[in-house]
Amino acid sequence: MTDGTGTLHFDAGAPNDPVFIGVGELESGRFPERSFIQALTEVAMRALDNARVLPREVDTIVLIPNLHSFDDQADLIFSRMVEELGLSRQAKASFMVHSGGSTSDNAVRVVSGLIHAGHAQTVLVLQAERWGSADLTEMVTMLTANGIPQEWERASGLTFNAVGALITQRYMFETGSTPEEMASVCVALRKWANLNPNAMYRDKQLTVDQVLGSKVVTDPLHALECPPLADGAAAFVMTTAENAAHRRDATVRIAGSGGCVSHYSIAQETDLATMGWRTAAERAWNQSGWSPEDVEFGEVYDSYAAVTAIASEGLGLCAPGEGARWFASGATSPGGAFPMNTNGGLLSAGHTGVGGGMALLVEGIRQLLWQAEPERQLGGVKRGVIGGTGGTYMDAQVLLLERVDNGGAR
Amino acid sequence: MTASELRSPSLADEFNDALAAGTLVIQRCKACGEVNMYPRYRCPACQSADLGWQQSEGTGVLLTYAVIRAVPPKGFESDLPYAVGVVRLDEGVQLLARLEPAEDGEWDPYACDTRVRFVPRSCQVGETRLTAWFAPDGSPS
Repeated sequence: MTDGTGTLHFDAGAPNDPVFIGVGELESGRFPERSFIQALTEVAMRALDNARVLPREVDTIVLIPNLHSFDDQADLIFSRMVEELGLSRQAKASFMVHSGGSTSDNAVRVVSGLIHAGHAQTVLVLQAERWGSADLTEMVTMLTANGIPQEWERASGLTFNAVGALITQRYMFETGSTPEEMASVCVALRKWANLNPNAMYRDKQLTVDQVLGSKVVTDPLHALECPPLADGAAAFVMTTAENAAHRRDATVRIAGSGGCVSHYSIAQETDLATMGWRTAAERAWNQSGWSPEDVEFGEVYDSYAAVTAIASEGLGLCAPGEGARWFASGATSPGGAFPMNTNGGLLSAGHTGVGGGMALLVEGIRQLLWQAEPERQLGGVKRGVIGGTGGTYMDAQVLLLERVDNGGAR
Repeated sequence: MTASELRSPSLADEFNDALAAGTLVIQRCKACGEVNMYPRYRCPACQSADLGWQQSEGTGVLLTYAVIRAVPPKGFESDLPYAVGVVRLDEGVQLLARLEPAEDGEWDPYACDTRVRFVPRSCQVGETRLTAWFAPDGSPS
């Protein structure tokens, strides 16, 4: 049996080392007038411009799914973006990767493998979502019908807020975290969102009193502790280090990854306050040779405060049981010792479906390329950790990324 | 027949028939004795297809719970408020369940690690929302 920590065959400086060379993003929020294909096209162009790559240089498009429409999903799957970007016959492959909220992390593994092996040279990864413009009840019902076992749990009336509440309740019980400490996680994220022009809540302040004063939607979660459904779009470009060398002063490479799929249905999770994070993190640290002390910031999935608190503990970024208090202490906020979710996260930049994890990944790449807005850019950062999870927190996915300055390719 | 009408035959049918009859059953592997929840087509422990059912004692521990007060899925509007929880049965397996409210309509008697027991409920013929219900252990039936 494998322990899940095989050697990564990518070498820093090798010509075929897969690297990120550009990102693009659209503003998150409610944009009913922005069409799905328009958003995908615009974000693709932004990422390609940023990467200094021409559309015709792209040989492979990888689509991140949307959750608002099966019709739009069909357009993604069946290569509409190849036509929209003028890549008919030029494109070698166009296909979708899907594991819910952890899709972007798994897409990085897939794409980097293609590039390293030579199956692809320049890959455009695209995502757009229209959750903010969609009907809320329809989306809640859709989520209840997808990702929750239809035979065993749908009849109970389980919702995704309830899945978040089940984890939060157990997390608070095991760690003794108070409602104030849980609310503080949301407040810490909002401070970052206030610095992010693409965040849904860039202009709104948030206090612990406001969070605890909002309606209880699903005990123990208040309305302002539930992620706001948003429209959004994000994209990134990956290529070989050799191909990137003449285009950019710096690129971002993958030092290692780790993952752990712990359950399908939330009721089958035996460790509701820790889930798969410790195992996934151990695999990533082992593969990279890094330890938590080697990373300078994190972008870790945060659809609910407990989700990112649990992940932070499993990653070893803070002490076990101290995740929520760590956020409450200000350590992760702007100016703190270990910045976390510098785009504002899903809870404050907006939950763009499968795009929530994508936005965190894109923010991590952007920070390592030193391309965030000056008030949000972390000075001189070279190493970061990305964490994602999908479905009912079925998995924990960890990517360890590092900046490579020009001359990295031989 | 549209896609939404296409219904797969399901292992849940036997489980739900038992629920409708007021009993909670657990799948048990006849080859290795492992109990499985939710039921599978092959035993996850030994991959045998020789699987049967046993009646659960119906007692266990509530690992966690949530009270849904707003934004329900379609069809659950009139259930509000309602509570769901993850129960670890004394047989060692887990399932999602609905929790009986206390007399005041709230769920104050529940906390993580509360002992709970299965409550048989009468079901109507053709009931499509069969789910296991639990109450605090020791409360009057």
